[in-house]
Amino acid sequence: MGRYIFNRSWQGLIAIIGALAIVFIAQRLSGDPVALLLPMDATEADFVAMRAKLGLDQPMVVQFWRFLQSAVVGDFGHSYMWNEPAMDLILDRLPATLELAFAGLVFAAALAVPLGVLSAVYQDSWIDRVAKVFAMLGQAVPNFWIGLLLILFFAVYLQWFPAFGRGTIMHLVLPAIALGWYPVAAMTRTLRSAMLEIMQSDYIRMARAVGLGQRSIIWKYALRNAAVPLVTMLGVYFAGMLGGAFVVEVVFAWPGVGRAVVEAVFARDFPVVQAGVVLSAVVFVVVNLLVDLSYGVIDPRIRHGR
Amino acid sequence: MRHLIALVASFACFSALGQEADDTVTIAFAAEATQVDPTRTMAGVDAYFMDLFFERLLSLDSDLQRINWLAESWTVVETSDGGENGVDVATAIDVTLRQGVKFHNGVELTADDIRFAYTRQSDPASGISSQVRYVSSVEVHDDYHLTMHLSQPDGSLITQNLELWAIPKSHYDEVGEAGVQAHPIGTGPWKFVSRKPRNELVVERFDDYWNQDALPGFKRLVIKIIPEDTTRVAAYKTGAVDWIDAVPPAQVEAFREIPNTHVTTLPAPNNLFLSLNEVDASSPFRDYRVRQAVAYGVDYDAIIKYILFGQGIRTAQIAPGGLGYDPDLKPYPYDPDKARALLKEAGYPAGLAVPCYNLTTPREPYIKEVGETIYAYLAEVGIRCRIVQLEYGAWITVGRHKTRPRMDGVNSTMWGQGLPGDPTTAWGGHLHTNGDGWGTYSYASDPELDAMIEQLRRLMDDDVRAVLIKKIARIKHARMTGGVPTYRPMLTFAWRDTIDFKPQPGAFWRSMRDIAPCPSRRCSSE
Repeated sequence: MGRYIFNRSWQGLIAIIGALAIVFIAQRLSGDPVALLLPMDATEADFVAMRAKLGLDQPMVVQFWRFLQSAVVGDFGHSYMWNEPAMDLILDRLPATLELAFAGLVFAAALAVPLGVLSAVYQDSWIDRVAKVFAMLGQAVPNFWIGLLLILFFAVYLQWFPAFGRGTIMHLVLPAIALGWYPVAAMTRTLRSAMLEIMQSDYIRMARAVGLGQRSIIWKYALRNAAVPLVTMLGVYFAGMLGGAFVVEVVFAWPGVGRAVVEAVFARDFPVVQAGVVLSAVVFVVVNLLVDLSYGVIDPRIRHGR
Repeated sequence: MRHLIALVASFACFSALGQEADDTVTIAFAAEATQVDPTRTMAGVDAYFMDLFFERLLSLDSDLQRINWLAESWTVVETSDGGENGVDVATAIDVTLRQGVKFHNGVELTADDIRFAYTRQSDPASGISSQVRYVSSVEVHDDYHLTMHLSQPDGSLITQNLELWAIPKSHYDEVGEAGVQAHPIGTGPWKFVSRKPRNELVVERFDDYWNQDALPGFKRLVIKIIPEDTTRVAAYKTGAVDWIDAVPPAQVEAFREIPNTHVTTLPAPNNLFLSLNEVDASSPFRDYRVRQAVAYGVDYDAIIKYILFGQGIRTAQIAPGGLGYDPDLKPYPYDPDKARALLKEAGYPAGLAVPCYNLTTPREPYIKEVGETIYAYLAEVGIRCRIVQLEYGAWITVGRHKTRPRMDGVNSTMWGQGLPGDPTTAWGGHLHTNGDGWGTYSYASDPELDAMIEQLRRLMDDDVRAVLIKKIARIKHARMTGGVPTYRPMLTFAWRDTIDFKPQPGAFWRSMRDIAPCPSRRCSSE
């Protein structure tokens, strides 16, 4: 197990450096941050001074080497726009994004598990069809649109929840639904097909033969094994939500990482984009590692190498 | 059960929103400042917060008239140029500061602080040194008297309220750059309390403010940052905020129907136009008739009415109220036949095809849709556009005339002329051929106009400047050079009638200088 973690960590590190190199080059091909920072009537001297101040007057290879040297000690430079350490800017917003992603995931799982199980158990019944439509709705409708509808209905008309911002648990409800509805369809479908397969397996027939109750068979024996692919999806979606919650963050004025990074992309704020990408890459690698390790917990056959 | 959930939700919701004290007002901006040091590079949005804390030597009143502010008085010093004709030219500006003006830390403003602001701003690393490029030094005579020495006359200094901001040298010395960003201190009517970037800014009334007549009525102001239009509108409708900026044009009429709500529409400082490549040998826009065809070929009035919901002002060259506005200079009327005839006359009977760059920034409402419509109109008269959509960062790179890729066709462009409006800097940037910080975004080249623009910058008297602006505008209009003007956008604000708010031009009408709870003196007089 130790060797496995070691190997995966190395692979993860290479993935992070690869992501950084791509982002580093792609950003510099996309436009000049100095033109964005200076007023439109700036003189050539202003341009030269600003380039020197930001270190953009150096060859790209030198810039990348300096960046890597600083990055390994956690220094991603100062934001061009906000004039504060880029990683601090990202880390300040990380709790808000973690909170939103976690709530979105809980919402998704809370819907997908019962829907997936019931669809499998009552295959082709009206329950199956309703579950399918409900789950597909989240995937078919863009989450910004869901967010706006939720605001209009639950915040403006019913006034049950705040329309924007972060603060109490009530602020979390609408953005979590807007964010978490999308993966429900995929998770439901995955769980449904896994359950259908498992319900036909020998050990379930055995369980029935020895007289175990239907509820116990479904929730205790079948679901546990059917949950393996679901856990993988949860991990991937969680990591995706951390970096991809931008739209929901904008709609609900949620002060998260996704919004900060996307705004930084448009502002050519290289240090913030780089810090954000590193963080996302680290989260992806770590979450995937945790997901792999969790298989052993869920399915002892994997833990024992069988 | 359902009722119980609703009850719990409602309770938690209202607890979350909080019951505000009467002395606090919560408002929402669509965007926020990126930094709070007025002597460092300033995006347009930076003014939103700057105006709360910092002040300049001059200001504008609500009627857009220039008034003395931190300067008690000022005079332009003219000296003979030493030539045969003995022409007097402006060589300095003498300023007498108002006495008894305090910074938020209790320290009194002196001329040294103004000189300190000049030193910081004139450093090229500030990013905004171009704005004081013709101020050679600031000489301090005593605590309340200083002289701005000029290397050449610069009328833009007056347009920009003498440019320099009052910043406390002692505070900068004490806390450094990072400290200033963390806790800005100025002489303005609001004191910094706390800030959560991309979330909210909290400020408190500065009770020792020098201008007690302009002291805000609220003790505390909370500014929420809500970039998404629908969410900002929802925040207003749910009562979470009591004042919002940038009401989406499509919803302005609906807002007027909301009970107990004031809605005001005011001109924005921005000016929009189509930049045409008039300089490259292969460009069809070198011919003024093709440029005129662009002006005749688009129905801008229809665009303002149907796409901007009336939230725009059609401009010939200068918008009404701007310095040098000429009511007799009319925009080119929509005349597609004339446009086709001009193209034919210019040697393009079958029309022509060009790249058309379209700006898609959320900074200006519906600018993407306006651009697409303009390009569709152009296709109708024979100017077939290959539309290239550009977000702001890519657009600004394409627009600079020294960069690659080159703007080789039409570019939907904007360049603010400020409030009430002065085209000097903007024309210097997109009409003048080239120079020290001039012509940076220009695809025009007209030696006669270049000379006139340089002369315009040297003039310090607004009346004289207005005459020259009119003259330039007429030539520019006839030759349709330096861009085809389209419209000046409008900004709409809404607030509840529990608030007495009078828009002031600072921070592009977002100044929170004149805001008080109702009933106030003015509410009761209404």
